[in-house]
Amino acid sequence: MSKYLQVFKISLEQEFAYRLNFIMWRIRNVLQILVVFFLWDSIFYFQGRELFGYDRDKILTYVFGLIFVKAFVLSARAQDVAGEIGRGEILNSLLKPLNYFKYWLTRDISSKSLNLFFAVIEFGFLFIILKPPFFFQTNPLIIFLFFLCILIAMFIFYLIVFLVNAIPFWAPEMSWGGHFLVTIILVEFLSGSLFPLDILPQNIQNILNLTPFPYLIYFPLQVYLGKIEGLLILKGIIISVVWVLVLWFVMNWIWKKGLKAYQAYGR
Amino acid sequence: MEDKKETKNFHLNFSAFFEKSEIIFRRLGYYFRIWFMMSKNSFLMFLNQKSVFVIFLTGKILRFLFYIFFLIFLVKGADGLAGYNTNQAIFFFLTFMVVDTTAQFLYRDVYRFRQLIVTGDFDLVLVKPVNALFRVLMGGADVADLMTLPPLYLATIYVGNLLSPTPAHVFLYLFLIIVGLMISTAFHIIVLSFGIITFEIDHSIMIYRDISNMGRFPIDIYKEPLKSALTYFVPIGIMVTLPAKALMGLVNFQSVIVAFLLSILLTIASTRFWKFALSKYSSASS
Amino acid sequence: MGKNLKNTSENTVIVEHLVKNFEVVEKKGGFLDGLKNLVSPQKKLVEALKNISFSISQGELVGFIGPNGAGKTTTLKVLSGLLYPTSGFTQVLGYAPWDRKPDYLKQISLVMGQKNQLWWDLPAIETFKLNKAIYELPDSVYKKNLEELVDLMDAKNLLYTQVRRLSLGQRMKLELIASLLHKPKILFLDEPTIGLDVVAQQKVRDFIFDYNRRYKATIILTSHNMEDLMDLAKRVIVINKGEIMFDGNLKELINEFAKEKVIKVYLSKNTDMKEVEKIGKVKRVNFPQITLSVPREATAVAASEILQNFPVADLTIEEEPVEEIIRRIFKGEISQKNTSVPS
Repeated sequence: MSKYLQVFKISLEQEFAYRLNFIMWRIRNVLQILVVFFLWDSIFYFQGRELFGYDRDKILTYVFGLIFVKAFVLSARAQDVAGEIGRGEILNSLLKPLNYFKYWLTRDISSKSLNLFFAVIEFGFLFIILKPPFFFQTNPLIIFLFFLCILIAMFIFYLIVFLVNAIPFWAPEMSWGGHFLVTIILVEFLSGSLFPLDILPQNIQNILNLTPFPYLIYFPLQVYLGKIEGLLILKGIIISVVWVLVLWFVMNWIWKKGLKAYQAYGR
Repeated sequence: MEDKKETKNFHLNFSAFFEKSEIIFRRLGYYFRIWFMMSKNSFLMFLNQKSVFVIFLTGKILRFLFYIFFLIFLVKGADGLAGYNTNQAIFFFLTFMVVDTTAQFLYRDVYRFRQLIVTGDFDLVLVKPVNALFRVLMGGADVADLMTLPPLYLATIYVGNLLSPTPAHVFLYLFLIIVGLMISTAFHIIVLSFGIITFEIDHSIMIYRDISNMGRFPIDIYKEPLKSALTYFVPIGIMVTLPAKALMGLVNFQSVIVAFLLSILLTIASTRFWKFALSKYSSASS
Repeated sequence: MGKNLKNTSENTVIVEHLVKNFEVVEKKGGFLDGLKNLVSPQKKLVEALKNISFSISQGELVGFIGPNGAGKTTTLKVLSGLLYPTSGFTQVLGYAPWDRKPDYLKQISLVMGQKNQLWWDLPAIETFKLNKAIYELPDSVYKKNLEELVDLMDAKNLLYTQVRRLSLGQRMKLELIASLLHKPKILFLDEPTIGLDVVAQQKVRDFIFDYNRRYKATIILTSHNMEDLMDLAKRVIVINKGEIMFDGNLKELINEFAKEKVIKVYLSKNTDMKEVEKIGKVKRVNFPQITLSVPREATAVAASEILQNFPVADLTIEEEPVEEIIRRIFKGEISQKNTSVPS
C-alpha cells in the first residue's frame, strides 16, 4: 500500500514540476466551460423560459456542475501510456514489482485530486464573476448516489483510456490517434460535456444510454439535479456497473494480446 | 555615378522597377516550389501511415457532423440563437470551419515545432538558406485537411447561397476571410516565437485553439467584456463572425477597415516578435 | 606570426578575441524556490568562450578537441551563424556569420552528431530532393554531386529506405551526403562520430579525409574522441574552459609537450620494485610487464641501465600517448602560452 502512496506523491510532484503545463491545462478547462456557459446563457436569456425541459437555473447549474464532474472524471494521467508503448518504455515498467494498472490508477487519482482542488478554486472564481443560479442539492441520499455514480464514471473512463492506449501495441505510430478519436471527440459529444443529452430526441437518447459515455458526465449530473429518480437511478447504475465489468474484461483481453504482439516485435 | 543615381531613384526608373519585381517573383517562385516539395513530403509520409490518417480523418468528420447536428437541434428547438436562424447559425459555424481548417491545413507543422526545438534539430533548419519561419510555419501541410477542405468549401458556398447575398456581400466575405487568415497566421507566428523562448508550445497552440473555438458560434452570444475581448484581443470576432455577418449584409464599412488594419498590425507585430525570439535563441545555448 | 589582414582572401575563417557569454537562469527545485524564481530570477553568467583567436585557410582540415563543455560546439555555432558573439571579430568566407545571409548559408554546411536534418519517416532521397530545391542546384549538378557522394559513402542501397529504419551509422552517412550536395566551401562537423560503432567511425573519418583531399573544402571538426583527431587532423586546436590551450600541428604537440617517453619492460624473473623505481616513474605494474616513464633526454641511459641490471625478456620504447598529453593539457599541467598560427 505504501508503494502506491509513494506513487501518489511522486505523481503530484511531477505535476508541480510541469507547472506551466498544468496551469495551461486548467486555463483550457476554464475556457471550455465558458463557451458552454455562454452558449446556454444566451439561449436562456429570457427569464422563465423553458426549453428541452430545462429552465435557466437548471441548465446553468448543469454547466457549473460540469466543472467538478469533468475535473474528476475526465482528467487522466493514463493518457501517457500510449506514449510509453510507442517509445518502447513500457517493457521496463512491466519489469518493476508494481502492478501496471494499479500504478496508473494511482497516478490518475493523484492527478484527479489536483484537478479537483483547482476546480474548486475555479468554481468559486467563476461563481463570483458569472453569478449563475446554482441549485444546491440537499437530499443526502441523492448526494451519496451522486458520488457513487462519479466513482463508477471514474472507473469507466479509466478503462476506456486504457483500452484506447493499447492501440500502439499494434501500431506504434498511432500513439495519440485513438485518444483523439475516442477520448476527445466521442466523449466530448456523447458524454454530456457540451450539452445535456436530453435535448436530443428520445430514440437517440435510448441508443446513447446503452453506450458507456452518458454515464461519465450526464448521468451523474442528472442524479445530482434530481432529474432522474427512483428506479431509473438504479437502472442507470446497473448499466454503468455492467459497462465497468465489460470494459474490464475487454481491456484485459486486449492488453494480453497486445503485449504478446508487442513483445514479438522485439523492441 | 550613373549606377548610384539609378538605385537611388529606382521608383522613378522603370528598368530598376522591373528588376525588383523580377527578383520578388523569383523569390516567390522559389518559396512556392519549396512549399510544394515539403507538402509533397507530408503527403508521402501519410501514405506510409494510412491508418493514422484514416483515424484522424474519421475523427474530424465525426466532429464536424456532431456539431452540425447539435447546432440544428439547438437552434430549431430554441427558435434561433442570439437572433439568428438555423441557416445563419450553420453559416457562422461553417465560416469558422473554413478559417480554422484552412489555417490548420497550412500550418500543421506548428504542432511539430516543439519536437524540433527540444531535440536541437532547429539549429539545422536555421543554417539553411531558406527562411526559418517559412520552413517551421508551413513545412507540413496536413493531408487530412486537404481532403476535408473541398467539401467544406462547397458546403459553405451552398449554405451561403441560401442566405441570398449580393455580389458586394460576397466580395466583402472573401476579403474578410483573407483578413481572418492573416490574423490566424499572425497568431501562429506568435505561438512559434513563444515556443522558441519558453519551449512551451503545445499548450499555447491549444489555448489559441480553445479560444478560437469560441468562434464556432456567433460571438454575439457572449456577454461583455468577453465579447470585446474576442473582438479586439484574440480577434475571433473579426476572423470569423465578421465575414459571416458581411455575407448577411450586417456589417458597416468602418468594421471592415478596422479589421484590415488590425490584420496588418498583427502581421507586423508577429514578425517582429519572431525576429526577437530568434535573437534570443542566438544568445542562448541549446 | 600574429594577426592577419582582415581583407586577406586566403583566410577563410578569421576569429579575433571572440568572447561568448551566456546568461543562465538558475533553476532550483521546490515550490517556494520556483515562486522566488518567477519574481526575481537568479541569473548566472557562463563564460563559454574567453577571448579566443585563430584563423583557418581554405582547404585546411582542423580539429577542435576538448572535454565536454569546453566551448567546441559554441565555437562552431558562432562560426555557422547560430550564436551571436558577445564581443570580438568573427568572419567566415568574408561574411559575418550571424547575419545568416542566404549567400553565406549556401556555401556552408553544418552537421551535428545525433541531430537530424533528414525527414524521419521518408527515404533519404526525398530530403536530398528538397535540399536540391533549397540550395537551388541545377539538375545536372545535383545528379553529379549525388552520384559522387553516394559512391564515396557506399550508400546506394540506403537511399530508398525510410530513415527511421536505418542504424545510426547508416543515418550518419546519409546526413553527410545531405549536407554536402551543394558542395559547401566550408563544412562544420560537430561530434560526427558520436554514438557510432568502431567500424562506422572509421568509415566517417575516411570519408571526411577523402572529401577534404578531393574538393579542398575547409573542414572544421570537433570531437572529444582522440581517434578522430589523430586520424584526420594535421592541425589541432585544444580548447578547454573557453580558452585555447594549443593551436598547431599534432606533431608539434607531441614534440613540445611530450617531455617523457614510455618504456615497457617484460621481465623474465621477479624483481625488487624499489630498484626499478630508481630508474624512472613506474606507471603500471602488470607482471611480468612494467610500464615506466622517463624524461626524454634520459631514455637511452635508462634503457641501458634496465638491460644491464634486470632480467629483461623484452623492452620497448614508445612515445607518450597523445591522449595522455591532451589530458594533461586539459588539466592545465601544460599549456602553450602563445596561440601561434601555423604557416
